[in-house]
Amino acid sequence: MLELLDQETIEIILRTLRMTITSTAISAILGVAFGLFLESLQPTRTLPKFFKWLVVAVNRTLMGMPPVVMGLVVVLIFTRDGPLGFLRLMFTFEIMIIAQVLLVTPIIAGIVYTAASRNGERIRAFAHTMGASRLQTQMLVIRELGNEIFFAIITGFGRAMSEIGAIVMVGGNIRHHTRVMTTTIALDTRRGFQDQAIQLGIVLMLVAFTIQIIADFLRKRERRNDENF
Amino acid sequence: MMKISNITKKFSRFSLDWRRTDTFESKIYGIIGANGCGKTTLMKIMAGLVKPDEGEIDHGGLTPRDITMVFRKPYLMGDTVYKNLVYPLKIRKITPDEGRVSGLLELAGLSEIRNQYAPSLSSGEQQKLSFIRALIFDPKMILIDEAFSNMDIKSVTRFEQHILASQQKNPITWVIISHQLSNIKRLCNHVYFMDSGQFQAEGTPEQILLDPQAPELKSYLYQQSF
Ligand SMILES: Nc1ncnc2c1ncn2[C@@H]1O[C@H](COP(=O)(O)OP(=O)(O)OP(=O)(O)O)[C@@H](O)[C@H]1O
Ligand SMILES: [Mg+2]
Repeated sequence: MLELLDQETIEIILRTLRMTITSTAISAILGVAFGLFLESLQPTRTLPKFFKWLVVAVNRTLMGMPPVVMGLVVVLIFTRDGPLGFLRLMFTFEIMIIAQVLLVTPIIAGIVYTAASRNGERIRAFAHTMGASRLQTQMLVIRELGNEIFFAIITGFGRAMSEIGAIVMVGGNIRHHTRVMTTTIALDTRRGFQDQAIQLGIVLMLVAFTIQIIADFLRKRERRNDENF
Repeated sequence: MMKISNITKKFSRFSLDWRRTDTFESKIYGIIGANGCGKTTLMKIMAGLVKPDEGEIDHGGLTPRDITMVFRKPYLMGDTVYKNLVYPLKIRKITPDEGRVSGLLELAGLSEIRNQYAPSLSSGEQQKLSFIRALIFDPKMILIDEAFSNMDIKSVTRFEQHILASQQKNPITWVIISHQLSNIKRLCNHVYFMDSGQFQAEGTPEQILLDPQAPELKSYLYQQSF
């Protein structure tokens, strides 16, 4: 176990963490904002119910999007001749973040939207009776949905951590550059280094577990079970 | 002062049709009527929670911050009793006055449990908390939708006495929905009776409850004891 944690392995672990935490953080901001925005949309004449339904349906589809398909889309956009090819982002750390943000944001938005649909209306009505401003109302909704938002972010983090299809396509698993834990495991196994892959797999799970514990510790204690209904 | 006129609101299988003009000012008003007759809908419109299809609401100088509504099923934040109580002050950036806070907790009989997790309170305790939370920021208009329904008689009496006493000192506008006609009788200066989304009768509690004229009102009051 110890000899496994050589310079390069540590480098890979740190790169993996940097990638998943960055992409989850960006997705959390985008996804929470979008999920809450979508829920608070009231159908009007100019914005028919159908439009909201369509956006929700598209988001649900994206939630289950196979990573390789997302990888393909990102490749098509960022490849040398693609619409954003001039940015020269193919096979970089940044493009892996982009691909992951595209995968994870719909997941967080979808979970937050569903949770908010259940309680958002009631929380906003309450905030209105208290005389809360728009901003104060939004803050209250976020605070009251804290557990659900936390769950959404953790789910998104899990997706970012475990995902391989998209990042291997856009990042290319380049040594010292875009190689992360999942791509290393896949490569090692293919080359016959199963032992190393198993060890790295264990490290991956330990890292994921540790992150959960830290997040749980940082979060406000969950007291949902004390509800008297 | 609040003036509502010709309010309508259509739902798929119900329509509220309040074809008249009424003024609510510095008195205690009651709304009674059978289940589903539209009392809550009318009150939500007055509170600005539901937009009417037609009609006018003249707030007469009241801002949304002056009007509050207390629900039958209170919304309590996932926090302590105390935090819930001072929330309206917090959003107004007012430092809670400890004397006032403990006075209200005393009134509601919640002093001992001010640090308990609010959603874990009993249903009556939740209603009491939600009620004093509406009092703490001194709104000018309080709309009460069956907010006493789970309280024991002693607590209801205490709150009634508090309302009547504070009304003597500093009158504000109250609108109270209740199926406990005894509450209505003791508290209200003026009572409205609704049926199927429409106004049916109005008058003093004595006129409405003891000397009903409209047939719908008579049948609603039939076998009601108070
Ligand atoms: N959002 C809504 N969508 C569809 N119908 C609604 C909605 N809100 C209320 N209604 C209908 O309007 C009618 C009146 O409801 P409301 O809650 O105002 O009755 P109520 O007089 O308060 O009755 P209760 O004494 O049982 O509280 C009911 O038939 C209800 O089904
Ligand atoms: Mg009602």
